[in-house]
Amino acid sequence: MNPYVLTIFLLSLGLGTTLTFASSHWLLAWMGLEINTLAIIPLMAQQHHPRAVEATTKYFLTQATAAAVILFATTLNAWSTGEWAIHQMSSPATITIIMLALSLKLGLAPTHFWLPEVLQGLNLTTGLILSTWQKLAPFALLLQISPALNSHLLITIGLLSTFVGGWGGLNQTQLRKILAYSSIAHLGWMVMIVKFAPSLTLLSLLIYILMTTTAFLTFKTLSSTTMNILATSWTKTPVITALAALALLSLGGLPPLTGFMPKWLILQELVKQQLPLLATLAALSALLSLYFYLRLCYAMALTSSPNTLTALLPWRLTQNTNPLLLSATSMFSLMLLPLTPTIMTLLTY
Amino acid sequence: MALLRATHLTQAARFLGCFKQTHLTQGFPQLSPCWRTISGGEYRRPGQPKEYTPIWKQFDFQKGVKGMQKHFALLKEEFLSRWTGPEGRPLVEHMLEQTRVIWEFRGPKSLENWTVSSDREIGGRSEAFLKLGRNNTTCQLYGTLCSVAPRDGETRYSGYCTLRSKPLKGAFDSKKHHDWTSFNTLHLRIRGDGRPWMINIGAETYFSHQKDEIYSYFLYTRGGPYWQDVKIPFSKFFLSSRGRIQDDQHALWLDKVNTIGMTLGDKADGPFQLEIDFIAVCNDRAHTEEFAYEVYKRNPEV
Repeated sequence: MNPYVLTIFLLSLGLGTTLTFASSHWLLAWMGLEINTLAIIPLMAQQHHPRAVEATTKYFLTQATAAAVILFATTLNAWSTGEWAIHQMSSPATITIIMLALSLKLGLAPTHFWLPEVLQGLNLTTGLILSTWQKLAPFALLLQISPALNSHLLITIGLLSTFVGGWGGLNQTQLRKILAYSSIAHLGWMVMIVKFAPSLTLLSLLIYILMTTTAFLTFKTLSSTTMNILATSWTKTPVITALAALALLSLGGLPPLTGFMPKWLILQELVKQQLPLLATLAALSALLSLYFYLRLCYAMALTSSPNTLTALLPWRLTQNTNPLLLSATSMFSLMLLPLTPTIMTLLTY
Repeated sequence: MALLRATHLTQAARFLGCFKQTHLTQGFPQLSPCWRTISGGEYRRPGQPKEYTPIWKQFDFQKGVKGMQKHFALLKEEFLSRWTGPEGRPLVEHMLEQTRVIWEFRGPKSLENWTVSSDREIGGRSEAFLKLGRNNTTCQLYGTLCSVAPRDGETRYSGYCTLRSKPLKGAFDSKKHHDWTSFNTLHLRIRGDGRPWMINIGAETYFSHQKDEIYSYFLYTRGGPYWQDVKIPFSKFFLSSRGRIQDDQHALWLDKVNTIGMTLGDKADGPFQLEIDFIAVCNDRAHTEEFAYEVYKRNPEV
């Protein structure tokens, strides 16, 4: 893509999220969300393949629907209460509508159906932007309206997302779909706890972004989009193979890796809030997700595939001249657990 | 092309019995994959009467019950196969496999996955039939090609016949796809008669019921009594939409393949025959080409 045009799109993406972060008026927040949607559309449709265009269209339709519903609900709220400020939502009906719209935007169950297909139609970089950056703005809104939200709805959405994310990812061999279901599951965890400890939601989101960035960058470096191609990475870059296996286990939430931190703190908070059954169910659903992460580890690092090469792309070795981001994020996604107290104090407000 | 099995049936029987065997969804035409073709989605020649039997005449309770049992069994299997692994097989198999035979003609049931069609639907005079070959180990597609155009005032060319696989159906006739991402080559074992055929792969398209786009490549048969092993890499398949080869080409994405088919339309009137032993996909490690056709900018910036 023309570098000037690419710059415009990336900066627009930044603008959209920043606008939503900085806004206290619902209209400005909505505008930020729409800018984000529109800016990422050309990035998604770069490949002139009909499935890429299909993914783009599906993404646009879902996001536009969600944004329209947000606009509708906030206008209703303003009409009935006269209040446009985000943190002063008072009407329970409109806030529920907004929650459902945000769950459509984020890809939470039961509005998750678009996410695996959309991610499958994108290349890995755009998929990375979709999984990480595009989640920030809706979460900013979610955190601001969380005190007024119905906790039953949140818990239902959260638990359903963790189960759907676990169950749906079980059968997948395409890495992008696996990461889509992992996104659904992680977002479920984040949403479960938002009423009780919003700081944990933020922590969970940031750790998730870190780990997902690691995963996507690893797959991009290895030029792999399926599990079989991943299985031969030990011949190409043994170091990344070792680290990526650990990074996947971190996504699965195993101690002593970073991914354990949000799960542990969320379970602790749920138990403190007298919800031990919910905590048990959430922990059990994490096992489902862990199964497919383990399967990826098994394919990648625990077995030596007898095939030397399954993919064509690695023949054309693109010089990965900047491994800084991958090395930094992979280190963070493996080693941050001992820093839990520091991070907690940083994020508790 | 309408997916209609051209057999020796009369017009009415051809309509009602879209399939020669007792089809489980015959009591519920809406459930059958051919619903649109039955209801009028297929090509209806100008002047032909619209044939439609109302639903109350087609009702059969027993067939409906059997259909429900079959679909619920498929649904249960779909749920439980997740525990085994991708596509219901253990992960080790998925990781290690380098070849997979997709269609093998070993017995009359294997013919149910295929649909034969010719230009008889548009009023032409070609004929095509499908039967099992010798010892029930191969399938034989045979018939006569006739390129005389039908005299309906709007058709100019004629003379084709095709064999196409039926798309995979899951529980309640949901769409399932072939996932051939582990492979990069198509391997066929055929015995033709020297005619040039086209292999068409139908992948999942932009719209859910779009039947315009197809990826094709040529199959030159050698004829003669000896079997021919044909290996065609998937990178060679080019895209055509509604029969026209597109300028904006792209590689075939293998993760959602629906149908494969063979077409004959070489403008040579007369009998033809193609015998197929199996159709398989394999992974040729030495094949490193991603896409055989250059994709260049048609309007480059100056």
